[in-house]
Amino acid sequence: MLRILRTYGLALLLLTFVAFPLYWMTLTSLKPQTEVFRTPPTFLPATWTLEHYISLFQLTDFGLLFMNSLKVCLLSTVMALAVGILGAYALARFRVRGKEAYGRLVLLAYMFPGALLVIPLLLLFRELGLTNSHLGLSLAYLTFSLPFVMWVMRDFFASVPIDLEEAALIDGATRLGALWDVVLPQAVPGIIATGIFAFLFAWNEYLYALILISDESLRTLPPGMMRFVSSTDTNWGLIMAASTLATLPMALAFGLVQRYLVTGMGAGGVKG
Amino acid sequence: MANVRIDRLHKEFRSHGGVVHALKELTLDIADGEFISLVGPSGCGKSTALRIIAGLETPTSGRILFGPRDITKLEPRDRNIAMVFQSYALYPHMSVRQNLEYGLRKRGVAREERDRKVATIGAMLQIESMFERKPRQLSGGQRQRVALGRALIRDPEVFLLDEPLSNLDAKLRVHMRAELAALHQKVQTTMVYVTHDQLEAMTLSDRIVVMNHGVMQQVGRPDEIYSRPANRFVAEFIGTPSMNMIEGELRIESGKPIFTGPGMAIALPQASLHMPAAKQATLGVRPEDIALVAPDTPGAIAARVTVSELTGAERYHFVTVGGGSVIIRTPASTVLHPGENVALGLHPDRLHLFGGAGEDAAALR
Repeated sequence: MLRILRTYGLALLLLTFVAFPLYWMTLTSLKPQTEVFRTPPTFLPATWTLEHYISLFQLTDFGLLFMNSLKVCLLSTVMALAVGILGAYALARFRVRGKEAYGRLVLLAYMFPGALLVIPLLLLFRELGLTNSHLGLSLAYLTFSLPFVMWVMRDFFASVPIDLEEAALIDGATRLGALWDVVLPQAVPGIIATGIFAFLFAWNEYLYALILISDESLRTLPPGMMRFVSSTDTNWGLIMAASTLATLPMALAFGLVQRYLVTGMGAGGVKG
Repeated sequence: MANVRIDRLHKEFRSHGGVVHALKELTLDIADGEFISLVGPSGCGKSTALRIIAGLETPTSGRILFGPRDITKLEPRDRNIAMVFQSYALYPHMSVRQNLEYGLRKRGVAREERDRKVATIGAMLQIESMFERKPRQLSGGQRQRVALGRALIRDPEVFLLDEPLSNLDAKLRVHMRAELAALHQKVQTTMVYVTHDQLEAMTLSDRIVVMNHGVMQQVGRPDEIYSRPANRFVAEFIGTPSMNMIEGELRIESGKPIFTGPGMAIALPQASLHMPAAKQATLGVRPEDIALVAPDTPGAIAARVTVSELTGAERYHFVTVGGGSVIIRTPASTVLHPGENVALGLHPDRLHLFGGAGEDAAALR
């Protein structure tokens, strides 16, 4: 009994820690401006309002920022998955000299702090004409999402029984055909999970977005939202409304694919 | 349909600076329609050989020919082979039907043709009722049938089987073994079968290849392998319980070869004996080639029973002879008791003599 209480107590504590900021963000976005600064604070709004959401769309270019973010993140996620899956498969399956060293290098690249890369990237991208471009920003995001996808998918591929693709090769498939027909369907949970994380990294990214994009019409959400903070005034209601809307796609995505993140894979194909 | 020629096939694996010779100079001719088994302990190179035939591994040197066609460099898909894996390797996300027709689809076979073939194979293997099920909804035996079906449906030139029965329970294994034999009778395709189970090899094969440490030890019909093992390894590997091996010495006494071991001196037949005298030797005798004889029989060997085991139709008697242990196989009706003294007679035509180190063998016939 005590153990159950302790387990649930800990879970509740953790939940509070994780969920309270979300709760506070959502509530603040639904309070009128005057109530946001009231002391003591209200834990449920005394007056419910959508005024911040309305002004978000009427007074700011939130819609544009959101669409820009969506475009960049989708582009970089698709690229990370397309390249990362092939790379991870090669790392998992092919006998290549220096493969292990390369695998560790990928991990090292992933651990490299982005802040150190941003200036060299800016110089490089300027040469290539990739600044102020959504493609450029997406490519910059590959510096961290690609190593992540490769590292995680390599383990996923390694856990798919090699017999399956050998059977496909003998049945008449090419390497790519076997990968597509037989291996990828087993790795769907991994693809979804890494895809979501890759998207999430890009979605939350601030520094690269700030430095590589200076054209206002191309701005993405994180730096865009910073304009709601001025030297004289911070519009908390507006920021919270924007943050709530920005959180929504990720929350939805996680909700939808939760099932995939936990289900086992490949059951029944080989002897269980 | 094709005969298969394996020509000086060699395979090395390099790992951590060392070189492992998985397969050494394997040369073998497999006749069209033949059922040939590769047997040996794990790591003997039998699976490597099969995987090279399949095209899943590249040989370090050597060639493989199907009929006149050199296929050594071809991709697996271009070899017109089919393979059954130990794990069955059924595609988990596809139904039985999709599993069966995957190979046909990949080869661009038209829909009607596919349906017709799937129906034929389904009827042959009695799996029609489970066409729409996923592999995980099938029992081990059913999965095995689907795996066989997926290989058969393509009418391959050569059929490769990698320990296909070893994941089944004992009873089902015997059943599927018989089905496999019947299947080979029916389709008459060249089959290469890898197993560590000598009983499977003995019962199914036209010929058996015994391998050890990447080297082919002997190739021959099951009865040849059993009754005339080429060396000590083959003699001990084939047969359950395995052949008794008695260490001793070979001498020539007044022109006749005599084997002396612990507690015995046996006059050997004169024929075909090329071993130098006064040499370390090992006498091999199968448990069923030892008879219980009257104590006063000339040349009888005195022994004492330690344990008797009843296996059903037979009994295995463990006896000590001059300090060494020997197994005798008799019908169940022969009852011996522990501690009992018995006299043994060896069948002179069925003795095997091996060199001391067990490398070269002069099997006496």
